[in-house]
Amino acid sequence: MNGTLERRYRRLLHLYPKAFRREHEEEILAVLMASAAKAQTRPRLVETFNLLIHALLWRARHTSIPNPSRGGVMNFKWADENAAGIDKRIPAFEYRHPRLFCVLLTCTGAWFVILTAILYGYGVGGWWGAVLMPAAAVTLFFAYRLRVIAGKS
Amino acid sequence: MQETTFLILTALAGGSRHGYGIIIDVEEISTGRVRLRAGTLYTALDRLQSDGLVEPDREEIVDNRLRRYYRLTATGARRLAEEAERLRSNAHAATSRLDLNGGVAAT
Repeated sequence: MNGTLERRYRRLLHLYPKAFRREHEEEILAVLMASAAKAQTRPRLVETFNLLIHALLWRARHTSIPNPSRGGVMNFKWADENAAGIDKRIPAFEYRHPRLFCVLLTCTGAWFVILTAILYGYGVGGWWGAVLMPAAAVTLFFAYRLRVIAGKS
Repeated sequence: MQETTFLILTALAGGSRHGYGIIIDVEEISTGRVRLRAGTLYTALDRLQSDGLVEPDREEIVDNRLRRYYRLTATGARRLAEEAERLRSNAHAATSRLDLNGGVAAT
């Protein structure tokens, strides 16, 4: 049973870039497993959103996007080169596929907005707005940043 | 300083802690008010390491699981002491004014 949960958490941790997983995957997995209830087989929804949002924040913090003022040259680099285990040569996966991820993130952001509207429309929104609206804002912001890159590539 | 940061630094002021240990300690310090999620904790630890306030201490394998311990740096301890002093001073100002007014805000 724990094996199932662990496998699902590992899959979720793929939201983080490879450099993060190389350094922290086992450690964060230990924390997630220790926090889980005994009979739990699926990651909790709140935990899933938390990992999604923080994976995006981590990517934003450690990746700089190309500066259009540099003649449009694609110049990927990690913002914090001192962070342990970071491979400076490889940009984050979404920056290598900006067009695809721009569409995916726009759809995800739009879905968060629609979902919020549906939940509140049926009067069961509660605190979900506080989770879904920031998630929508973050994903749409990333989609906008990737659109800039997609336009240059 | 954000409350989460303050609570993590406070937890580490008691000695080095691993990830889950920090979560438990933060919950205890905040009397159950703050329950850190794994994503939040590691984003905060990453930022605190970059700022030089915490650093990895040692690693252990317990039940086939990796435990990496973190500790407060000298800079981290100084920043925490400054923040604690600031909060103490604000709390003192608030309580002394409330005492003067008998605990009731003037209308």
